[in-house]
Amino acid sequence: MCRLVARSVAGGLALGMCFPASAHLVSTRFGELYSGFLHPLTSMQHLVPWLGLALLGGLLGARVAKWVLAVFPVAVVAGALAAPGLAAVEQPMAVINLASMMILGLIAAIAPSLPRWSFLSLGAVLGFSHGFANANLGLAGYAQGLYALGVGLASYLLITLALALCDLLVERYRWGRTAARACGSWVLAIGLVFAGFTLIGDGLPL
Amino acid sequence: MTRIGQTARASRAALLLFAALWPALSLAHSETGVGGGLAAGLHHPVLGLDHLVAMVAVGLWGAQLGAPSIWLLPVVFPAVMAAGALLGLLQMPLPGVEYGIALSACLLGLLVAMKLKAPVALAGVIVGVFAIFHGHAHGTEVPEAANPLAYGVGFVVATGLLHLAGILLGLLLKWPAGDWFVRACGAAVAAVGAFFLFGSA
Repeated sequence: MCRLVARSVAGGLALGMCFPASAHLVSTRFGELYSGFLHPLTSMQHLVPWLGLALLGGLLGARVAKWVLAVFPVAVVAGALAAPGLAAVEQPMAVINLASMMILGLIAAIAPSLPRWSFLSLGAVLGFSHGFANANLGLAGYAQGLYALGVGLASYLLITLALALCDLLVERYRWGRTAARACGSWVLAIGLVFAGFTLIGDGLPL
Repeated sequence: MTRIGQTARASRAALLLFAALWPALSLAHSETGVGGGLAAGLHHPVLGLDHLVAMVAVGLWGAQLGAPSIWLLPVVFPAVMAAGALLGLLQMPLPGVEYGIALSACLLGLLVAMKLKAPVALAGVIVGVFAIFHGHAHGTEVPEAANPLAYGVGFVVATGLLHLAGILLGLLLKWPAGDWFVRACGAAVAAVGAFFLFGSA
């Protein structure tokens, strides 16, 4: 009995004395990485057009679209890093972002065969403008770099997973192409409604 | 257990089920923010029976017409519906919106019931014209506190999924009995449309 009590006390002490594991780096300087990662994923203004780009990529096929997996995240990081020095272009960037849903949705719904360079150019321009919109102007130096990296990482994961899924559906199933085009039409419709709400209501989301 | 005991138990279970299904919605939370906007948008086409049946009829008619209409109609409808929603947002009046929605259910239901074929362009125009009425209703009835983008995502996705429901029902067309079932669905849609058309007159 005495041994059992002693063991229980020792176990309790061992549990009580343990240090926090700090497995999650949110409370350290790496927190900006997570902050950047979550920022675009918690906003439909970015999620919808990014999914639209992935849809379009899936419709064009892996041979044309695969390079966008590198171009888009790099452009997003570049936009997020360049934003503090480019305050003068905030308005045009907001217009591009607002139009991006409609442009991507329209092209995906029509599903023309685009040359690789035009799709990559579209990915680069929209990546830069969306990176710009995701920038955190209150950060500088190391923290800003981590934040931009987080945004880029989110864009890479989302575009890769969504494009791969769309490509798989289009290649493997007879109805895949039709479904992807219908989803493109949804993106176009959402973009039209949002543009209307924005321009009638609070103005551009700067 | 005796027969009386079993009956009492079954009665209690039925009473409990009845009580669980009975309560009115509390509606303590108004539709605000992204979650509220998404929920309001998803509900809007589903809770209006005339919207619901007309959307399913678009999918059914597309399935009856086959390629390319089966993909053209679900692609055309959301885009034109969004244009109608813009008119609603701009507070531009569209006369007889509710009649237009009811008429869409009535006519699309009849087209399915009678299995009428139409050229792709004509089918696109018919569906597109009705889409403006449906979109206008969605655009004018947005809750003020809700996130507009989430509301747009909600009603577009709900509409698209209703089209998909119609297309999936259209898979039954492979069998003779299924063909008649789809036509019966069309007749039911037309009846609902007629009810709203003459009920709101």
